Amino acid sequence: MKPSTVKIKRMPSRFKHQVPKYKVTRSAACINCGTCAKSCIYGVHERLEGHNKMSVPIDYKCIGFECENNDFYCVKKCPRGALSISLNPMYETLGDYRWTADMITGTWIMAETGYPPERTDLEYNTGNSGGGFDKLRLKFPKGHSKIDKFEISTEIPLNRRNDGRANIVISTPVYGGGMSFGSVSLPTMVSKAHNATLWNTFTCTGEGGYPDLLLPYSDHVITQVATGLFGVREETIQRVKIVEFKYAQGAKPGLGGHLLGEKNTESVAKMREAVKGTSLFSPFPFHSVYSIEDHKKHIDWIKEINPNALVSVKVSTPNDVDMVAVGSYYAGAHIIHIDGGYGGTGAAPDIAKKNIAMPIEYAIAKVHNFLKDEGARDAVTLIASGGIRTAHDLVKAICLGADGAVIGTAEMVSLECVRCGNCESGRGCARGIASTDSELADLFNEEWATQRLTNMYHAWNVQLVEILQKFGMRSVRELVGRTDLLEHIDYSK
Amino acid sequence: MPKKYHIHPKVMPLNLDYVYKFRIERGENCINCGRCTKVCIYEAHKRGKGDPRKMADPNTVVCRNCFRCIQECPRGALEKSLDKDFLNIGGSYWKSDIFITLWKQAEDGKVPVTGAGYRGPFTGPGFDSMWTDMSEIVRPTRDGIHGREYISTSVELGRKLNHLTFDECGKLLSKIHDTVDIPIPIIFDIPPENLSPNVKLAQVRAAAELNTFIVLPATEIAADIKKYIKNIIPLISAKEIDQHQGLIKSARIVAFEYAEEMLSAFPALKEKIKKISNALTIIRVPATKSVETIVSQLAHNGAEIIHVVADYRGMEVNGSGNENNRLGKDIIRAVHLKLVEERIRDEVTIIFSGGIAMAEHVPKSMLCGADLTAIDLPLLIALGVRLYESPEKIIVFPEGLENIPVRTVRQRMINLMSAWHSQLLEVMGAMGIREARRLRGETGRAIFFEEIDNETFGKIFKKRESANV
Repeated sequence: MKPSTVKIKRMPSRFKHQVPKYKVTRSAACINCGTCAKSCIYGVHERLEGHNKMSVPIDYKCIGFECENNDFYCVKKCPRGALSISLNPMYETLGDYRWTADMITGTWIMAETGYPPERTDLEYNTGNSGGGFDKLRLKFPKGHSKIDKFEISTEIPLNRRNDGRANIVISTPVYGGGMSFGSVSLPTMVSKAHNATLWNTFTCTGEGGYPDLLLPYSDHVITQVATGLFGVREETIQRVKIVEFKYAQGAKPGLGGHLLGEKNTESVAKMREAVKGTSLFSPFPFHSVYSIEDHKKHIDWIKEINPNALVSVKVSTPNDVDMVAVGSYYAGAHIIHIDGGYGGTGAAPDIAKKNIAMPIEYAIAKVHNFLKDEGARDAVTLIASGGIRTAHDLVKAICLGADGAVIGTAEMVSLECVRCGNCESGRGCARGIASTDSELADLFNEEWATQRLTNMYHAWNVQLVEILQKFGMRSVRELVGRTDLLEHIDYSK
Repeated sequence: MPKKYHIHPKVMPLNLDYVYKFRIERGENCINCGRCTKVCIYEAHKRGKGDPRKMADPNTVVCRNCFRCIQECPRGALEKSLDKDFLNIGGSYWKSDIFITLWKQAEDGKVPVTGAGYRGPFTGPGFDSMWTDMSEIVRPTRDGIHGREYISTSVELGRKLNHLTFDECGKLLSKIHDTVDIPIPIIFDIPPENLSPNVKLAQVRAAAELNTFIVLPATEIAADIKKYIKNIIPLISAKEIDQHQGLIKSARIVAFEYAEEMLSAFPALKEKIKKISNALTIIRVPATKSVETIVSQLAHNGAEIIHVVADYRGMEVNGSGNENNRLGKDIIRAVHLKLVEERIRDEVTIIFSGGIAMAEHVPKSMLCGADLTAIDLPLLIALGVRLYESPEKIIVFPEGLENIPVRTVRQRMINLMSAWHSQLLEVMGAMGIREARRLRGETGRAIFFEEIDNETFGKIFKKRESANV
């Protein structure tokens, strides 16, 4: 359920046009009679006042071939047969195997409206990667569910150790991933934190310091201690409820962090206590950790500085990730956060993103089962990230054994990221999301961004509740490890 | 500790027309308002040079796909699509993106770094069905390419002893074979025949500067490149050893094509070479169905270095042409495992070539069991060569390449190798492996799709299905 602080409000794109899936072509046979403009309810066709000729069709407003059953379908209505609809070649330039154009478009609609798309021509739940989540399907039972949606809880507790520290419960089993100041703009960071507060969940500072603008949201901010210790201070650790140790990042495991020089502007450098314009590389690994005992020492250190904080440990997914998770549990971590190889990043070598460490789908199952065999599963929260793109991915991850998920790219796409992948250098993001360039970082305001994120979280929550209802469950916690509710299109026939 | 190996890249643009990914077209309804000029941070849109009242055609080479011009044009007058050249180049193995990334690496010598996560398929055939592992906490410090830690990428070529023997006084009895060290696990394979002289010379000089080798047919080693013979591996016909005594004398390694009689005649061949010089020998064996048997027999007969040559897409050669043809990953694993089973793997050096198209294929080949790799096409793609797989393999050289100065061509090849070397360091660093020779056959540091998918999903989903039955 959404907390009462969440208000859904329509928040349209900040751009005049959106990326069209269809192309509406007007041939020379058009007599500019204006019938199409009168019939189309979506506003594809218009004739500007005082113009004799019809304007060029506004492609992105067209809902495509599924319109043909409507009486107002322009192609049928046109007395001269001058109109036709086809797939727009532009659509092929949007998206990729993992984040398809449909998935990006679907997420944009969620961020705009707060609900899953009503259009039926978008496959927004599953990608086209041909493996992992994209080969898993949910197996719904037949018949009607007797459960009322209002009875369904999407809350999960984050402290399962019973160690006297805060019993933090988040309202939706998702929180925002670490993105540092420097890798993303301040409005992006602040809106993530604001949204996390409205949703009673969390967001993470990443490794780049704790900007003052986040102070009002400190109860919902996780601060990160990573290998470069950029921006880590005693007071930042003391002001939050969760501290996250980042050992590695799924997109570039074993490689540390990268912030290329051009993005290290004056304010970024100040926050990180570094020199402006130099490329900043966090090393790998923690040079003070070479054993589980060293790791425990780290966790004890945080627990000592902040006696009430929970400790999350973020690791990537090597073959022995299950051992690492168990070790971390014994060292005292409350949250084990595993970040899969296909996860997002502000900058990483392509060779690392594709090749190093395993995809999250395998790691979740491995870690969940290993923790179970060890008798430790109930005392630790398992959070998965690195390729959780949609509400369906979230459900699949939980069925495989996670308690919840951390998302990053989905949040960026809600802010109209097109995944062009140019966040890493130069002035950074041309769309102002992952940029600290004075001009580009001003392309949207915090109010717009917060509402877009809130809407997207809401759309996911709506889908999650619907799925739980179909499964006849009253809480998302019943879903954990239920692989029997999944089928794999290669194995299950 | 030997001196750290450095390759020195230098930005080296090549003024030839090459493929790019996106095409933007300006529709007739453009009102020349100039909004696109303001919003594009890559300067794809400019006003006309002759007539600034009109917009010039978009410069799509610089387009980075941010969609801002598309979305902010007040008239929706801009249209973008994938460029036709981009869609046509390469094929199912040599994907169009490979050409753009190799071209870019040849230009700046840098590791390709981008934002956002991986965008490709979950898994794929051959090398795409494996991941390299990494080590989380417990392992030696490393800082990879940025730092202090020394990671050696050098490998040794030659025959090695299975074990050493000593006499009663502890004096070494075994005679240690000669080996040759190269600082990167990559040599240049035979280039296509119709190479222009500047490219050929540049390629030899690049090999020399990198201190690796290039394989060249003996007949093509003209006077101007003879001075680089220390970095050339002449390919000699076994029948013509006498004619090429001069080359054999000065070369460090010579290569021969495999022929069936070599299985028994290798020792005699080696003897003959030995009378001329201490050059090591490579036998080039096509990666046929029975390649592992041939390699094992050669190894038992004393072969020093065996070069397994797959086709340009890393596929088995002379196969039946159907889907059962093995790909690089499986060919190397089969050869490696066969030699391991016969306890002779450590004695020979295995080179693999065919379909090495990206930096990642080098460590992956080695994890599967090769000691090093040989490459050819990427060096040409670095120069703007286009390759088409269907209907048949065609290589198209860019117009004007023969007029490009040798040093430009050479530097682009060096840049490419610099980028690959750095990427190899990244992968090795993440694995916690500090010596490239230890990558060989280290499958414990690799994750294979078939295995892990079966271990996790197979276990979950198969078991339940059979339980239901």
